[in-house]
Amino acid sequence: MISTTGEKVEAVPVMQKVNDEASEAVNILPSLMYDLPEKPIVTIEPHKSWVPLNLRDLWACRELLYFLMLRDIKVRYKQTVLGAAWAVIQPLVTMIIFTYFFGKLARMPTEGVPTPIFFYTAVLLWTFFSNGVTNGANSLVGNSNLITKVYFPRLIIPSAAVGAGLLDFAIASVLLVGLLVYYGFSVTWAYLLLLPLILLTTLLALGVGIWFSALNVKYRDVRYALPFLIQVWFFVSPIIYPSSLVPEEWRWFPALNPLTGIIESFRATLFGREVPWLALAYSAAFTLVMLVYSSYAFRRMERSFAELI
Amino acid sequence: MKPIIKVANISKQFRITPGESPSVRYETLRESLVKLARSPFARIRHNGRGDDTIWALKDVNFEVMPGEVMGIIGPNGAGKSTLLKVLSRIIEPTTGRVDLYGRVASLLEVGTGFHPDLSGRENVYLNGAILGMKHREIDARFDEIVAFAEVERFIDTAVKHYSSGMYLRLAFAVAAHLDPEILIVDEVLAVGDASFQKKCLRKMDDVTRSGRTVLLVTHSLAMVRQLCRRAILFNEGRIAKTGPTDDVLACYDQMCNLPHLTAQVK
Repeated sequence: MISTTGEKVEAVPVMQKVNDEASEAVNILPSLMYDLPEKPIVTIEPHKSWVPLNLRDLWACRELLYFLMLRDIKVRYKQTVLGAAWAVIQPLVTMIIFTYFFGKLARMPTEGVPTPIFFYTAVLLWTFFSNGVTNGANSLVGNSNLITKVYFPRLIIPSAAVGAGLLDFAIASVLLVGLLVYYGFSVTWAYLLLLPLILLTTLLALGVGIWFSALNVKYRDVRYALPFLIQVWFFVSPIIYPSSLVPEEWRWFPALNPLTGIIESFRATLFGREVPWLALAYSAAFTLVMLVYSSYAFRRMERSFAELI
Repeated sequence: MKPIIKVANISKQFRITPGESPSVRYETLRESLVKLARSPFARIRHNGRGDDTIWALKDVNFEVMPGEVMGIIGPNGAGKSTLLKVLSRIIEPTTGRVDLYGRVASLLEVGTGFHPDLSGRENVYLNGAILGMKHREIDARFDEIVAFAEVERFIDTAVKHYSSGMYLRLAFAVAAHLDPEILIVDEVLAVGDASFQKKCLRKMDDVTRSGRTVLLVTHSLAMVRQLCRRAILFNEGRIAKTGPTDDVLACYDQMCNLPHLTAQVK
């Protein structure tokens, strides 16, 4: 056990067997001699405004995080015919539509990269990010039965919702590998950057999702405002167009979007181009600040979840 | 002997929105912004909070010794469930302090987190994890849990196909195999048909005799008489009486003017 100050403490139960008959007759407590810890294991009292993150508690509950992710994943594809194939179909169909409408009809420039794979790389990341944020934002309200009946660190709930999207991402990336092979792109050392990029996207989705999930408990507007926000975010991100399409004087606006750096770097790594390090550094900084801020904001709003939900 | 649970001056205040049901309701962003704009004037209109709050708990003080089985009884709306929620860290108290010197497991509902699309097996692991059991603990006790619930044949079918009895039995079986130092139970004890109810009571008996500290909220005075040595009587958010079960039951009796209640017990 871990006491509130973080030291490991033993509670050793030593049973003293009490004769049943004697206990009925004499009415004494069955005595269990505990060596009670010096300091309480848990102290419950009203919190002041800023609540500590309590990462230790979160780590202790990592198995629950795993089980909740597993639950979300299993439930998503139960009783479906296509099962996990759905994870590929959504980005695949989107890619086909974009390739036709934006590639062929609108003749969007793609910087010399074949149109399907130009779109697919961004669509893949975007699907993961937007699903993560949406599922994360709705996760607390969707799990209201847990929040009102059991205690565990609530941060686990939106984290499980975002994490469950990783499997879909993995399944959909199989198609990306296929496309890379088909168009003859080769693996370079730069591909080592892919994993940190995926991690960065996950953390960004987590940061945004956590913040919206907490807000959603108090202000149900979030559920309706979020799809709209996601739509706008889609167009501000270089998914259907390369960043170079934006005229110089307006380029600062999409540059504020943390996804810009991530998506452009993702494409650059895969196609062997120059990685936009400045934009990527901005995205990383934004993600970090967002994650820390939303975690603290979440913790502060957490105490009223069970009452508001 | 040092107490394993120390509750000091716990109070919990809820805000009531006039005209709506007595619970805090969620508001839209627009309403919050409007309230914010109005706030300098609101204070002039009615001083501070006024009438729209309720003290669900007020100045609750008690101690529980290790190994004790404490019953908590009282009329509906007295604050018993609110107290359990505060002790289970689901709700934060407005004032006061609770010190817990042991690991707590709370049973406020059977089947928390059960998902209808998952199989019995998957739900046992999920529910166990939610209640705080480690994966290997569940592994070790899995067969016992399934045997206790008597659903061996159906453990791999989705629980939405279970009868309500099977569902409750499985849910209770998982909860019954928890191993905490402090167990907090809210009116979920006797579920299922008569023979299973007997099984549940016997299991509760085992748990109480094994030296665990148990806080039990129940409306079944027979259960309080059978399992608890001491009891607390709640009324309107305050403790009306603490002491040996018989005394507290007698006090409850008087309060309700239902003399046949205690006579009927056991």
